[in-house]
Amino acid sequence: MKLKLIPKNEQELSKLFVLIFPLIVLLASFTSFLKDAYFTFANLIPNNKIFNYGFLDILNNQVIYGLLFATCICLSFTYLFSKSLGRIAVLFPLLFLTLLGLVGTEFLDIIFSFFYQDGINLTGSNSLLIILKVLVGFGLFGLATLNLLAKKENSIFASAQFIYGAIVFYFISLLISRSELIVFTDSLMISSLHTSSLKYVAVSFIFLAVVHFLMTKPLGATLFNKTLTAISFWGFLFLLPWTNFKYYFGSVMPNWLENVSIYLSLSLLIPLLAFSVNYVKTIQTKEDEGNKSSSLMSFSVVIFLITNLLHIISSFENILPLVGLTNFQNVINQGYIGSLVLAMISFVYYLIPKLFGRSVKYSRLEDLIFSGFKFLYPVLLINNFLIGVNSGYSWNAGANTGSPTIYGEGFNILWGVVGINYSTNTFISLLLMALSFLFFVSVARSISSGDVTTVEEMVFSNE
Amino acid sequence: MSDLVNKVAELLNAPVDLVQRSAEARAQASGVSVDDVLNSWAGGESVAASSAPAAKEEAPVEEVKEEAPEELVEEIEAQEVVEEIVEEVIELKKESSLAFVSGVLLIGIFTFVFAFVIPKNQSISAVESSLNNSVNVSSEVLKGAEIYGELNCQSCHTQNVRTLIPDTQNGKVLKNKYANEALIRNVGTIRLGPDLSTNATREPTNNSQWLRRYLTDSSSVNRDIPHPNYGFLDDSDLEYLVTYLLSLGEINE
Repeated sequence: MKLKLIPKNEQELSKLFVLIFPLIVLLASFTSFLKDAYFTFANLIPNNKIFNYGFLDILNNQVIYGLLFATCICLSFTYLFSKSLGRIAVLFPLLFLTLLGLVGTEFLDIIFSFFYQDGINLTGSNSLLIILKVLVGFGLFGLATLNLLAKKENSIFASAQFIYGAIVFYFISLLISRSELIVFTDSLMISSLHTSSLKYVAVSFIFLAVVHFLMTKPLGATLFNKTLTAISFWGFLFLLPWTNFKYYFGSVMPNWLENVSIYLSLSLLIPLLAFSVNYVKTIQTKEDEGNKSSSLMSFSVVIFLITNLLHIISSFENILPLVGLTNFQNVINQGYIGSLVLAMISFVYYLIPKLFGRSVKYSRLEDLIFSGFKFLYPVLLINNFLIGVNSGYSWNAGANTGSPTIYGEGFNILWGVVGINYSTNTFISLLLMALSFLFFVSVARSISSGDVTTVEEMVFSNE
Repeated sequence: MSDLVNKVAELLNAPVDLVQRSAEARAQASGVSVDDVLNSWAGGESVAASSAPAAKEEAPVEEVKEEAPEELVEEIEAQEVVEEIVEEVIELKKESSLAFVSGVLLIGIFTFVFAFVIPKNQSISAVESSLNNSVNVSSEVLKGAEIYGELNCQSCHTQNVRTLIPDTQNGKVLKNKYANEALIRNVGTIRLGPDLSTNATREPTNNSQWLRRYLTDSSSVNRDIPHPNYGFLDDSDLEYLVTYLLSLGEINE
């Protein structure tokens, strides 16, 4: 295996991100497990400045939505975006540095949070570093725009469109997190739009970029309808950023914003249907069964569809008081990031032979990884869904009987209902961490000792 | 006519409507009928030979005619037409990067302005015009609020009573006011633990000794609900935190 210190093109750079992706998934699952353990057993295990739920929650958030997501952007950008260009990226050395900067600043953010906990702001970022992040984000946005404008290909691949949308909204989320907190509403406004632009739009667009690639080329299928892709692209791009405000229905935010959010969330059905039909019809034209990891990609699509359906169902006004401010919001976040990670795992298995020239042996280990993720992730989502909905019901029931469970004295009743689900969450996190470790072992084994195969040749020319 | 178009389309491997439009354009430019053009593309008589094009265009065609056999001239002309059509096909398929980039940026700017800048300014204007529009607290409370934020207590506890039934039964609805950054940050967005907005007005959380004990050794107070222990805080920080928690209730007045 050769890994050049300074890559010459996107294909060589992709190798680096394929290598670090399993490590970062392992880190993310480890911090998730620690966070859950410190929530469930907070009064049984020793607490200090680092090992307490508050800090671990921020750390986990930074690892997943910072470092892991940045790696996903970089990997999809380097491999998929270049396919739309028909040439080596314009200013490739600068792009290389920017992508390294993107992952680097997210990594620094995690390291700094251990030493400078005072500087942690609303979105869990150190204030000085976020300026650097904004600059890097702007650099990536600028380079992506420049490359799209200078492309040689006649059409823009669907994947590249989704990646560009993700970059624009990632940049917007960085800008929002720098906003000033002046009145109480700002807390909800900033948190809400930051969540929807980063955790909804950017995350789901990288997922859609990867899926639009995986459902066509590796399976030998032809994209069913480009118009449906356009509907899903523009529909999700326009609607998703507005969909988080509804969870603060009845709060201090302007009423019109909450109402618009409800109606636009219901409209998500249009791009969702367009994507579903396109996916199903495209898969029907497949000429190749693909590798075993393709099943994980299909499963990630199911998770994505369910997440969006839950997002739509929760928009009804009589359901909102039950799910708003509860753990249900975490189900939506976990649904989007989970579908992305599962699709990326499938993508990594596809890329190993193409980039490293080593074939993947789909043995029992890989079967265990795929089955494990397919079983555990829905259980995790269902569990958090139950916590969210039961909390909402308990609040309503408590309020009606005059024993409010929202406040301290009635909270024992609520904990009696959801406590077991939190313990289950910790157990699932432990198993997911074990699976992530096996995924890391599987990738390392394939790259180091897989049978030699042909490396994909990408046509790169700036002539 | 339609058979001819279909035949040419099949011959040139191009869409029928495109062939039709190209033939019409060529016929107009050459001053001949569409059928003549289609016939020539289908392998019949050359358009150039039967037309009366402008003098500048005529000369080279005649030169070629003199030097090469008629079949060759026709072949060259047909090839030119094929290239023209192929170029048009590519031109039709070509997507404008500029339009795409502009569209995405427009939606980005639209979202930023209408979902963030305008409602944010609207909220600030509403506070400006209200009577009781700011929260005034002591420096000890502020210090406590900062410690609360650093410990990330808002990841489990909200201070956000809504106008909805589950909340309004026993709490004061959060009003929009000017406040210090630390106070605003502590509002919280997810309620995994109890809401603390009226902490100072309820038993037993309005008792400073109970709070101190709960924060340093929660299981000695309530074994059933897990809560982190903050015994690692120094005495002054713990005192600031307790002072802040005992102020919650007044802030939402």
